[in-house]
Amino acid sequence: MIDQFAFLISEGFKNFFRNKLASFLCIITIFINFSILGSLFVVGFNTNSLIDFFRSKYTFEIFLENETQPSTYEAFVEQLNTDKIISNVKLIDKEESAKIFEKEFGEDVVEMLGYNPLPISIKVFLSEKDFEFEKVNSLISTIENMDFVDEIEYRGKYIDQMEDRINLAIFIFLVFVVAIIFLSIQIISNTVKLSMSNRKDFINILKYNGASRFFIKTPFYIESILQSIFGGLLAFIFVKYCFVGFNSYFGLNVKLDEFLWIWIIGFSIFIGIYSANQSMKRNLNE
Amino acid sequence: MVEFKNTSFNYSKQSGVYDINLSINENEFCFLVGPTGSGKTSLLKLMYFDIIPSKGEVNILGFNSKKTKLRNVHKLRKKIGVIFQDYKLLQQRTVYENIALPLHINGLGRTKIKENVSEALELTDLTDFQSKYPHQLSGGEQQRVCIARAIVKNPEIILADEPTGNLDPTAAHKILKILEQINKEGTSVIMATHNYKLIAEKEYRIIELKNGRLISG
Repeated sequence: MIDQFAFLISEGFKNFFRNKLASFLCIITIFINFSILGSLFVVGFNTNSLIDFFRSKYTFEIFLENETQPSTYEAFVEQLNTDKIISNVKLIDKEESAKIFEKEFGEDVVEMLGYNPLPISIKVFLSEKDFEFEKVNSLISTIENMDFVDEIEYRGKYIDQMEDRINLAIFIFLVFVVAIIFLSIQIISNTVKLSMSNRKDFINILKYNGASRFFIKTPFYIESILQSIFGGLLAFIFVKYCFVGFNSYFGLNVKLDEFLWIWIIGFSIFIGIYSANQSMKRNLNE
Repeated sequence: MVEFKNTSFNYSKQSGVYDINLSINENEFCFLVGPTGSGKTSLLKLMYFDIIPSKGEVNILGFNSKKTKLRNVHKLRKKIGVIFQDYKLLQQRTVYENIALPLHINGLGRTKIKENVSEALELTDLTDFQSKYPHQLSGGEQQRVCIARAIVKNPEIILADEPTGNLDPTAAHKILKILEQINKEGTSVIMATHNYKLIAEKEYRIIELKNGRLISG
């Protein structure tokens, strides 16, 4: 049994080198398809980072009426802190508002007017994890109706629209990925099929000499795995260094998943084995 | 050992075998004769289940054509050695590797494979050709490789489909002599041929086919 298994493994390796043209075609097909898929994966991975970036900007600011008492707004801040959709609350009193004004406009408002007209405000940071637009909108309309609230500054609508567009882009992107995967399976499967039909005589000789299906199939699986490893590895190197080049040439910050190589090679092996299996089913009349 | 019971198989309306009733015993040597298209190859294919009867059944070495599942056909073929007119050798492998193939399929160890292949090479007078490739050999030598590959696994039966069809008379006689030697050692041999001259002086059983029907035998 061990002798037979060793023979099958060595046959898989020998076939890979014996059928140089077929192996080369399969590797090129896998390389092209997985370079496209890998690039899409990197783009998808960075789209998520973009959404995370927008979500980190989910804040709103509540401006209070001038005569609001400290006990009132302190109690209000405490109340806001207990809300699940809020991650953090920051109170900006009159002095701090004046400092911000000076920093932004270069003038001391108290010195200029003789008094501080700037209102007390509360900056609210929303939780990225529990974020829901409906809940935020409902919270804002509740706060707007409070007596001591003068105004609320919130850019949620724009962010909401932006996220809707990003989600639409992700959906289109996913459809595109599914189409590419389907096409890849077809192209790789046809390439494997072509290389197998060239060896129909070989398969028949094995059959007439009493080879079981396992015996016939195993070297083809090994050959297919080798082709997938080489094709996938080339695609990974290509995708990685393309994005590294883009980053350094255009000054971008496109991030690469540290497990990208596992995704590409693993998935190409899966498609390679699936394609080989489909082709063998036809060739062995299963 | 081999039994055909009202067996029919047809490729089209005009070709195939019809209503065959036939028994072949253990250790028998017999010729399957008839003109081209008479059904000799079909009869042999029915014996190694390459085709399955459309009517009737075939019993061979304990396998029944009706009951044997497709996935178990290889078990029957391990017991049969098939010799083809067009040799069906692997061109990218040496003579030694071609002959060793059935032993790898049967899961034998390296030492046993070496031993069996040496015996087969000796019997077919191919010892000096073991590291050559099929395209470096003559037709007769290639056919001997095909025979060596068929006998190396010590089959219970040898099915030879026109093994001398492409050979000159001297090479043909040599092939027949090897098959007779194999038969003497206890293996049944069924040889399809339309070379009546070659078998004229032999006293073996002759099964004659014409238009897919059994005429005598």
